[in-house]
Amino acid sequence: MAISTSTPPDGATDIAAEHQRRRTLLHRLDVRGAPYAFVAPFFIVFAAFSFYPLVYTSWISLHRVELSTLNLMEWVGFDNYTALWNDDRFWNALFNTFTIGVLSTVPQLLMALGLAHLLNYQLRGSTFFRVAALTPYATSVGAAALVFTMLFERDFGMINWMLSLVGVDNIDWENNKWAAQSAISSIVIWRWTGYNALLYLAAMQAIPRDRYEAAAIDGASRWQQFLKVTVPGIRSTIVFTIVLSTIGATQLFGEPLIFGQGPNGVTGGADNQYQTLGLLLYEEGWKNYQMGRAATVAWAMFLLLILVFVVQRIVQRVLTRRT
Amino acid sequence: MTTDSIPVRATDAGPGTVRKTRKATPPGERRRRLFRHPGAGRQHHAGPVAYILLGLAALVSLFPLYWTMVAASTDNTRVTQTPPPFLPGPHLLDNLGKAWQDAALGKAMLNSLIVAGAIALSTVLFATLAGFAFAKLRFKGRNILLMLVIGTMMVPPQLGVVPLFMMMTELGWGQKLPAVIFPTLVSAVGVFFMRQYLAEALPDELVEAGRVDGAHSLRIFWSIVLPIARPPMAVLFMITFVHAWNDFFWPFIVLDMTNPTVPVALTQLSAGYVRDQSLIMAGALLGTLPLLALFVVFGRQIVGGIMQGAVKG
Amino acid sequence: MDKFRRKLRTRVVAAVSAASALGLVVGCGGSDGGTGGGKKDGKVTITMGLFGVMGFKETGLLDKYMKEHPDVVIKADVAGDEQTYYTALQTHLAAGSGLKDIQGIEIGRAKELSDTQKDKFVDLAGVAGTDHFLPWKQSQVTTTDKKVIGLGTDIGPMAVCYRRDLFEQAGLPTDRDEVAKLWEGDWSKYVDAGKRFKQNSKDDQVAFMDSSSGLFNAMIYGNSQQFYDKQGKLIYATNPVVKDAWKLASEAATSDLTAKLRQFQPGWDPGLANSTFASTVCPAWMLAHISEKAGPKNKGKWDVAKAPKGANWGGSFLGVMEKSPVKKEAQDLVAWLTAPEQQAYLFEKIGNFPSSQTALKMPEVVDAKSDYFSGAPIGKIFGAAAQEIPDEQVLGRKDGTIKDIFSQGLTLIEAQHKSPNEAWKTTDERIKKAAG
Repeated sequence: MAISTSTPPDGATDIAAEHQRRRTLLHRLDVRGAPYAFVAPFFIVFAAFSFYPLVYTSWISLHRVELSTLNLMEWVGFDNYTALWNDDRFWNALFNTFTIGVLSTVPQLLMALGLAHLLNYQLRGSTFFRVAALTPYATSVGAAALVFTMLFERDFGMINWMLSLVGVDNIDWENNKWAAQSAISSIVIWRWTGYNALLYLAAMQAIPRDRYEAAAIDGASRWQQFLKVTVPGIRSTIVFTIVLSTIGATQLFGEPLIFGQGPNGVTGGADNQYQTLGLLLYEEGWKNYQMGRAATVAWAMFLLLILVFVVQRIVQRVLTRRT
Repeated sequence: MTTDSIPVRATDAGPGTVRKTRKATPPGERRRRLFRHPGAGRQHHAGPVAYILLGLAALVSLFPLYWTMVAASTDNTRVTQTPPPFLPGPHLLDNLGKAWQDAALGKAMLNSLIVAGAIALSTVLFATLAGFAFAKLRFKGRNILLMLVIGTMMVPPQLGVVPLFMMMTELGWGQKLPAVIFPTLVSAVGVFFMRQYLAEALPDELVEAGRVDGAHSLRIFWSIVLPIARPPMAVLFMITFVHAWNDFFWPFIVLDMTNPTVPVALTQLSAGYVRDQSLIMAGALLGTLPLLALFVVFGRQIVGGIMQGAVKG
Repeated sequence: MDKFRRKLRTRVVAAVSAASALGLVVGCGGSDGGTGGGKKDGKVTITMGLFGVMGFKETGLLDKYMKEHPDVVIKADVAGDEQTYYTALQTHLAAGSGLKDIQGIEIGRAKELSDTQKDKFVDLAGVAGTDHFLPWKQSQVTTTDKKVIGLGTDIGPMAVCYRRDLFEQAGLPTDRDEVAKLWEGDWSKYVDAGKRFKQNSKDDQVAFMDSSSGLFNAMIYGNSQQFYDKQGKLIYATNPVVKDAWKLASEAATSDLTAKLRQFQPGWDPGLANSTFASTVCPAWMLAHISEKAGPKNKGKWDVAKAPKGANWGGSFLGVMEKSPVKKEAQDLVAWLTAPEQQAYLFEKIGNFPSSQTALKMPEVVDAKSDYFSGAPIGKIFGAAAQEIPDEQVLGRKDGTIKDIFSQGLTLIEAQHKSPNEAWKTTDERIKKAAG
C-alpha cells in the first residue's frame, strides 16, 4: 500500500475508490434515511387528515360553540375545563368507564388466553373452531348491540327467560346499574374474545418446543408450564392486547349507546348508570351540539390515557428496580 | 447489532411493555431455532374436556348470529313471544329480498368492497413498513415517534368530524368514496401491531446479514421482512377490512344514499314510525354475510400462515 | 367567520398540497358546494334529504310526481333515525355543503333552525296554493321577521288508545264515548280511572298504562307554553303546566299504574304484542305502530277514545335550501307534497295526520274509520282533537332535549325508585346543563 500512495494516482483504482466512497455514502444515506421514509407515509396521512382536526379540536375546546353555527365562536378560555372538573357527570362517567373497562377487559383477555390455549391443542376441525371463535368480530357494533339488546330485554328477552327457568326473577338489565354494566361488557367480551385468542394463538405457536421440554425436565406441571413458558412466550402480544383493550375501553361508546336505545342511550341510562366518557362526549357533541364542551371531554380523555400510561411506566420502573 | 442487542430489545420493547428480565439467548441457538419445524409449540392432543369447552365457546360465539337469522326469518309478533323462538320461521328469503331491495344493497356492497379493500391494502403495506422501522431500525427520535403513534390511537375519532368534512368539501370529495378512504389509509393500531410482532419474530441477525450482503433497506424489507411478516399481515388485513366494512359514523356524514357503503344504506331499513324488526335483522345479516364469507375463506389462509410462518422466539 | 374560514381553508390547502406533493392524492378536484340538484338535457333533478317517518318515498308519492312531471327526477335519501339525520344536517350546514335541495325538518328542530339557520332556507311565505295550513302549524316555522322556512307535513293530535277487553275485566266501561266521559276535561281523572283499574283488575300482570312519560307529554303539549316563553327564556321550573304534569305523572308512577316501558323502545313492542298494559296516550301517527306491533291476534280489542284535552305531539316540515340551483322546481315539489290531496293520501296510507285545514275537511279524512281499532271513527276523534290544540304553540330551541330529560326523570321514579322530589332535582340540574 505504501508503494501505491507514492506512485502517481492510477486511474482504475481511483474510480474503484470513488465507487466505494459513493457506495458507502449511499449506504449511509440508506441507513440514516430509510427509517424515516418507512414511517413517513403514516405520519403524512396522519398529519393531513387527523392532526389538523386535532389542533382544531383543542382550539374549539376554548370556546363556546355549537355544531350548526361554527361561525359564532365565543372565547371562554379554560371555562369548559373548570366546568368539566366540577361536573358530577364527568366523575360519574370516569368511574363508569373504569368499571365497565375492568368488567369487559379482564374477563375478555383471560378467556382469550384460555381459548387460545385450547385452540393450541392438536384438534380435529381446528379451522372450524378458529373461524367460529372469530365470527363475532365480523359483526358490526350496531348489529351486535342490537341483538344483545333484544336478548337482554326485561320482559320477554331470552336471557331473562332462561334465568326464569332456574327460578331467577326478571332482571331489569337496563335500569339496574351493575346489571347494565355487565350486559354492556358482555357485548364487548363477545365481540373481542375470539380475536384476541387468535392473536395469542399465533404467538403461542411460535414458542419453541424445547422450552416446554426444558420445563418438563425441571418437573413443571402442565399448569406451571402454561404460566412459566406460554405466558412469558407471548408477552409482547399480551402487551399489545392490553394496550389496545385499555384504549378501546376508554373510548367505549357504541355499545352503551345502542344498548340504551334512544335518549337513554345517549345519556347512558336514566340515571347515567352506564354513561362512559365516550358517551359523555357524544352527548355534549351530538345531542346538545355543544362542540366546545365535547372537545373538552375529548382532551380530558386524551390526558387521562397519557396519565394512565405514565403511571404504568413509573410503576414498571419501580418494580424493575426492586427486582 | 449482534448478541448484546437482544437484552436491549427486551427492555426497549416500547412504551407499555411489561418489563421482564429475560435471559439473552445465545445467537447460535437462535439461528438454529429459525429452521426448526414450524408450529413447534403445539404439543398435546385435545381431550374430551377441551372439546366440550371449545364446543361451548363456538356455541356462544355463533348463537347471537344464529338468532339474528331466526329473528330475520319470523315476523314482528313471533319474535316477542315467550319462550322466544329457537327455530327459523318461514320468511327468511322474503325478508332478505326485501331488505336487499329497500336498502339498495347492490351498489352499497360494491362500494364497501372498494373502500374496505383499499383501506386494508394500504394499511397493511404502510403499517408493515413503519412497524419494521420501529422494531428493527435505529434512528433518532424513534421512541418519541412511536409514542406519537400510540398517542394518536387515544384520540376519540368523532371529534375531528367537522373540520374533516370541510376539508373533504374543499377537495371536492363530498359524497365520494375517497372521502372515506383517505383519512383511514393508515392506522396507528396497525403500526403498533406490526411493530410488536416484528420486534420478536424478526431476528436481528437476519437484518444484519442482509446489510453485510450489501442489501439496501427496501431490499431487506422486500426479501427478509415481508416473508416473515406474512401471517400478521394477513391478520391485519382482515382486521382492517372488517373495521372499514363496519364503520358507520364518518361514512354516514360524508356519503349519501346515492353512493352509500353498506352500514349507511342499512339505515334506510329503520325508516318509518313503525319499524320492522325482522327487516332490520335481515339487513344486519346481509351486511355481515360478506364478512363471514371472507372469514371462512380467509380463515384458512390465516391459519395456514400461522403454521408456516412461525419463527418467533 | 369568513376570516376564520379563509384561515381554515389556507391551512387545509397547505395540508392537502403537502399530501399531494408526495403522490398520495390521486385524481379529481373541484368544488362541490352545490346541493346535488340541477338541470341537464331538459331534465330537472331534485334531491331530497328526509328521515323515516315522512313516508313520501315509501308510499309512492315521489314516483307519482315524477310520472306527472316527466321532466323531473327526484332523488330522495331517507335516513331511518331522525337523530342521526339531524347530526348530518348540522354538519352539512356548518360546512356549507352536502345539503340537498329539499330538507326535512322535525318539529323539535324547527325553532333551532329558524333561529340560527334561516338564511340558508328559502322563504316559502306566499308560495302559491299554500294558504291551507293550520295557523299554529305554520307559525312554528315562521321566523321573527316573518320568513317561513318550511311547509307543514303532518301533525300529531292526541287521543287515548285502550283495550276494550282489559277495561271490561276490570269493571270499566268499554264504549268509547263512555270511556271518554271517564276522564272528560281533566287528566287527573285518567289517573283516577287507572286506580280503579288497578283495584279491580283480575290480572295483576297488566298495568293501566305503558309509561308515565306519555301522560306527561300529553299534558304539557295541550298548552301553548311549555318549557320556554315567547322571549325564548326557560320557564319550565315555574310553569304551572309543567309542574302539574310532573305531579300527576309521578303520581301515576309511584302508584304502580304503569308498565315501566319506554315508548318506541324495544321493550314496548313486546308489551303491545303480549298485552301488558291496557291503555296508552296515542298521537294519530302511533296507531299504525300499535296495530302492527300488537298484531292480528289483538285486532278488535283496541279502541280509541277522546283525550281529556287536545294536544299535539310531533309533526314535520319540508324546507328548500337557498343554495339549490333548482329552487323554483323544489318549491313546486314541496307545495305539491304538502297539498291537501297528498296529506289526505298519506293519512289513509300510513296514518300521518294532515296539517292542512282543507285536508281536515275532506271526506276521506273526516269519515276515516279504523278496522283494527274496533271501527273507531279516527278521522272525527283526531280531527276534533286537532281543533282543540291551542292556536299558538311556543317552541324553544332545546325542546326535544328537555322532553327527553323529563322522560328520564320519570324513569328515575318509575324504574329506579327515586322520590319525585329527588328526581325533579336531578332533572332540573340536567336541563340547566343541556340548555345552558
